[in-house]
Amino acid sequence: MANPYEILGVREGSSKEDIKKAYREQAKKYHPDQYGDNPLKDLAEEKMQELNEAYDSLMKNTSSSNSYQSSNTYNSSNNYNSSSNDDHTNRDIYQSIRMDLNSGNIPSAEQKLGSMNTKTAEWNYLMGMVHLKKSWHDSAYNFISKACSMEPNNIEYRRSFNELNTRNSNYRDNYYGRRNNDSGMGNMCLNIWCADSLCECLGGDIISGC
Amino acid sequence: MFGYVTPCKMEMKIKDYEKFKAYYCGLCNSIKNSYGNLPRLTLNYDMTFLAVLLDSLGDNKIIFTKFSCAIHPLKKRIMINNNAALDYAAFCNTTLAYYKLMDDVQDNKTMKSKVFSLFLKNYLTKSKVEYNDVMMYTKEKLLLINTLEANYNGVSIDELSHVFADLTGFIISFYYKDAAFKEDLYWLGYNLGKWIYIIDAYDDLEKDIKSDSFNAINSLLNRNNLDFKSFSKCIKPRIDYILTTCAEQCLKYLNSLPLIKNEDILYNILELGLMEKMNVVFNKNLGVDYIKGVEYKDGKSL
Repeated sequence: MANPYEILGVREGSSKEDIKKAYREQAKKYHPDQYGDNPLKDLAEEKMQELNEAYDSLMKNTSSSNSYQSSNTYNSSNNYNSSSNDDHTNRDIYQSIRMDLNSGNIPSAEQKLGSMNTKTAEWNYLMGMVHLKKSWHDSAYNFISKACSMEPNNIEYRRSFNELNTRNSNYRDNYYGRRNNDSGMGNMCLNIWCADSLCECLGGDIISGC
Repeated sequence: MFGYVTPCKMEMKIKDYEKFKAYYCGLCNSIKNSYGNLPRLTLNYDMTFLAVLLDSLGDNKIIFTKFSCAIHPLKKRIMINNNAALDYAAFCNTTLAYYKLMDDVQDNKTMKSKVFSLFLKNYLTKSKVEYNDVMMYTKEKLLLINTLEANYNGVSIDELSHVFADLTGFIISFYYKDAAFKEDLYWLGYNLGKWIYIIDAYDDLEKDIKSDSFNAINSLLNRNNLDFKSFSKCIKPRIDYILTTCAEQCLKYLNSLPLIKNEDILYNILELGLMEKMNVVFNKNLGVDYIKGVEYKDGKSL
């Protein structure tokens, strides 16, 4: 990503207040709603997303809870509902869902996910985690594999997906490992018996009485 | 739908095998003492596992007694008696059997199940008052399964099997309802219940498709109305995944329980017994004898 300071038009190391102010000014300028059906709208939307990303990354570096809230009130006061800003608020919700999952508050996480409309890769992943905690293995598998196919490069999703498969093959191997050893044992007996039969034809005997 | 949770006999020490049998005979005996002779017919291995598991967490001493069995009169046998876990398992065995029969009465209204359930009802009144919660819960949940199975449109396999899984978890953890490990016990039961419900459905798949009756796997997942052969082929990996995950989770929760005795039996069942049963059920449906399969492979390598 380009330098977020440059995108917002502030000096590096500016205070939180300055960044916020710059963000608001820029956002007003590029707000896609004011373009109506004008072809510039797409461009504005692109710019808006860039601004949001830059703003987020700067605010994450400083401690964030207040600034996040103020940016949310800004969004809602403007009734701005384009997808890029949905992403912005969704990130907050996903964060709180992850906290619910960590603390074991599964019903709350599930309820939050259920109330969301946009089903991104992260949504599928988190829903998969909820179902995993509930031991709903079939749907957990489906959600997590969907997250992987939506964002194939995401390491977190990929890792969880692989984990689902490895834990099963470990469990299976324990059984097959032991049982196959046995059949190997049987096989050896069979080999000796065959060798014995062959030798007997030639007059020798490995196992007497057989 | 019962009798899938069994030990992997070939991997068992003889002392453990004998002990498991003693639990089985003890369960049968406890059913006789508490409820009478007729309910003994409902005896099954899943409930023996329940007794072994619950008893493994208590520090009571196991009391073995020699006896001769009326059904197998020629040999002296060993059983375990005076055991609270066995008595609880006997109660669960009878309760589940009764409400399952009530279902059958509603489903197909055969005379046999009707008469049998009437008898069982009388026996059940003898059970202890403190188990009343379990009885109510069982009744409620089995009824719910019945309703769901009748209106299965839009229900997922996880949703449907959840009810039986939850009931199993409840029954298993009820016995130690004030203990610190109650949660682990519940989740072990939950996964085992789901495993039982789904392997039972897969086991009955061919029969149910032929007779066009409800089957959790066929009714929920066979959207294109495939015949048994092609459907079982494409659904098998998915069912295999669900079952293996359930079994693996059972083992995981067993690991976190503070077991005092019976460890080897429990690990044998959850590590190997479940896998063996899955192997048998999967290969039965494919029409391949799995033992022959091994021989064939060996034959080729010779």
